[in-house]
Amino acid sequence: MKLCFADLHVHTALSPCADDEMTPPRIVERALAEGLAMIAVCDHNTTGNTAAVQAAAERATVTTAARAGDVAAAAERANAPEAVERTAASGTPAGDGLAVIAGMEVTSLEECHVVGLFPDAACAAAAGAEVTGLLPAAGEGYTEFFGEQHLLAVDGTRRGAEPAALATATPLDVGAVVALVHRHGGLAVAAHVDRRSFGVVGQLGVFPAEAGFDAVEVSRHVSADSPTLAEYAAFGLPLLRSSDSHTLDTLGSARTALRVAAPTFAELALALCGAEGRSVALA
Amino acid sequence: MTLDDIARELELVELVPPNEVERAAEVTRGYASDLLSDVLAHAPADGVLVTLQVHLNVIAVAGHADLAAVIFAGGRRPDDDVVAKAVEEGLALYGCEADTFEIAGRLYALGVKGSRA
Repeated sequence: MKLCFADLHVHTALSPCADDEMTPPRIVERALAEGLAMIAVCDHNTTGNTAAVQAAAERATVTTAARAGDVAAAAERANAPEAVERTAASGTPAGDGLAVIAGMEVTSLEECHVVGLFPDAACAAAAGAEVTGLLPAAGEGYTEFFGEQHLLAVDGTRRGAEPAALATATPLDVGAVVALVHRHGGLAVAAHVDRRSFGVVGQLGVFPAEAGFDAVEVSRHVSADSPTLAEYAAFGLPLLRSSDSHTLDTLGSARTALRVAAPTFAELALALCGAEGRSVALA
Repeated sequence: MTLDDIARELELVELVPPNEVERAAEVTRGYASDLLSDVLAHAPADGVLVTLQVHLNVIAVAGHADLAAVIFAGGRRPDDDVVAKAVEEGLALYGCEADTFEIAGRLYALGVKGSRA
């Protein structure tokens, strides 16, 4: 088992409230500079940019390997683009790169935020299509008040705009959102429970134990040794600490320490269960 | 009643003053809700919103719903970035110590009715 760090809640410029600088290459660059082994891309009610960030992470890994003199490995990858794509899709880069988990932050009927973390880009895309399909179209004036929703390519160029109103709530209650995430093979995390706005406790008054969450996330506003953590630990679920970054400068400002065999989705899932020496801890 | 009249009568704390157009306009409708999707769908244009939510999306929703002003009930106050955004959007913000039920009742007594009344 090895120790590595993850920031499992990062937005891209697809989220209307996120900064335009949150492009796939810049997110990857920043995450690597922060020493993170894993991030999760979680835009509001969409997974539209997750594959692009995964591909950007794969590119960065190839570049890093080439720079390190591992030209043969890079050439091998370059000659086998299908293998590279497969690796990117599974969120598991070869070598010491950045693993990018395909995620989504779903807004429930009660305006609670639920982070879904999916095994691969295909599962995430299926869940994303279902969720985005429940939203109204972004009507006239929407962008002006809520912000742009940039669909981005691997190099950060704009390939379009998401037409749905991502800043609105789905008609699914918290339990239904968790069930949707599970149906697509994902892990459901109660996002930023310490926040009065959009956290499940702030919106519902109590933690919904019956909803079936897999983990509870605290925001960067709660330090890793805060006495208030006891309150959240009492929910009986593993705690994660994530940045919920909408700007580059906060990416990695809150993180979770993973003790895993490798930074992959499968290992993360095992770590949440505390399986065979694996663990998650706040960092 | 204008926003200035309402603010004076109810002793609201003015966080962001109304712009010249809103200052002179009559406010006849109001809405009270903490679910922003509900506000977006049902709040009356040119009305006042009473809410406990103090985050940035309130300003976006109020702008999109074309509200005249937002009153934060229960002593809640928005952060500086939320206030700055309201200034930018020209949206009047007020705070009060009274809870939602109390402030909605006082507004009604002043003649501000619900969206369907």
